[in-house]
Amino acid sequence: MTLPENSQKAIDDYLAALRRQLRDLMEEDMNDIVEEIRAHILDKTTAGADPAQVVETLAALGAPAELAERYRTDELLKRAQLSPSPMQVLHRILRLTAISVSTLIVFVVSGLGYCVGGVLVVIGLLKAFFPRQAGLNIDYIPNQSFSAGFGAGSPHNADHDPIGLWLIPICLLLGAGILFLTFRLGTWTIRKFRRSRTRQYA
Amino acid sequence: MEENLTINPESADKWEVQLRKGSLELAILAALWGGRLYGLEILRHLESGSDLVVAEGTVYPLLTRLRTLGLVESEWVESDSGHPRKYYSLTAAGRERALEMGRTWARFAASLNNLLTPLNGAVKKEKP
Repeated sequence: MTLPENSQKAIDDYLAALRRQLRDLMEEDMNDIVEEIRAHILDKTTAGADPAQVVETLAALGAPAELAERYRTDELLKRAQLSPSPMQVLHRILRLTAISVSTLIVFVVSGLGYCVGGVLVVIGLLKAFFPRQAGLNIDYIPNQSFSAGFGAGSPHNADHDPIGLWLIPICLLLGAGILFLTFRLGTWTIRKFRRSRTRQYA
Repeated sequence: MEENLTINPESADKWEVQLRKGSLELAILAALWGGRLYGLEILRHLESGSDLVVAEGTVYPLLTRLRTLGLVESEWVESDSGHPRKYYSLTAAGRERALEMGRTWARFAASLNNLLTPLNGAVKKEKP
């Protein structure tokens, strides 16, 4: 590579800016895009290696924010809506925390939501498959002690379980509801912050 | 009422932009019909084979989109230039889609040309 130093810097700056603009994409996609654009710039400029050509090539690609936006409108919106994977949603939100600290709260709430929802679903399933071993366990001795919890493993005492098999639909519906709301919160946040960022550069 | 009849140059330009945008996808699929190409080769192919003015910043995102749709696939290939290049080729679904779009395009163009016959005389007269 025999590019003049300032041209090299212009290219590096452009690619770094593009990378920043694409940070809410999956790591792999982001690298793929940046490397492809790098190859394009190098292909168009090594031959002449004159600074004017570099400027021209970068101008033809458009500002990094504009270019990133074209990738985003085509690809990311769809993915954020379609992928219900908690890991992907959480990963995206975590990236957004670089833009706004408030998304950190969403990240924590989403993490909790996925945990609570997941545990409820598991409890519901356990009760369905092991009705005798699993269930609600409430110990209540008047004026002395009260303890409530979920019991699994040891033989279950039906006297301490006021709702019995009702636990299955309650846990499954509640768990699924919480998981769904958490997912909606995550995708809503991702879209909202992407939009507000777009407006900024519009 | 009369105002609505005057041609707004801005909206006419927008129409042309949309038209180019809409046909670019088919043009790219057609460019790959003969075998794999990398981004810049596709761009040069489009520029040499037509008067489509193609913005470079449009083609790369579109290629990524076509890949997401499963119409093209890509692979990184080392080159003599010192950096790898990302080559695109049509998938089976891409070939099918290209044929289908090509047919639709031909049908559409024929129908529209038909509808434009009343304009023909006027369009020719306008030319200096």
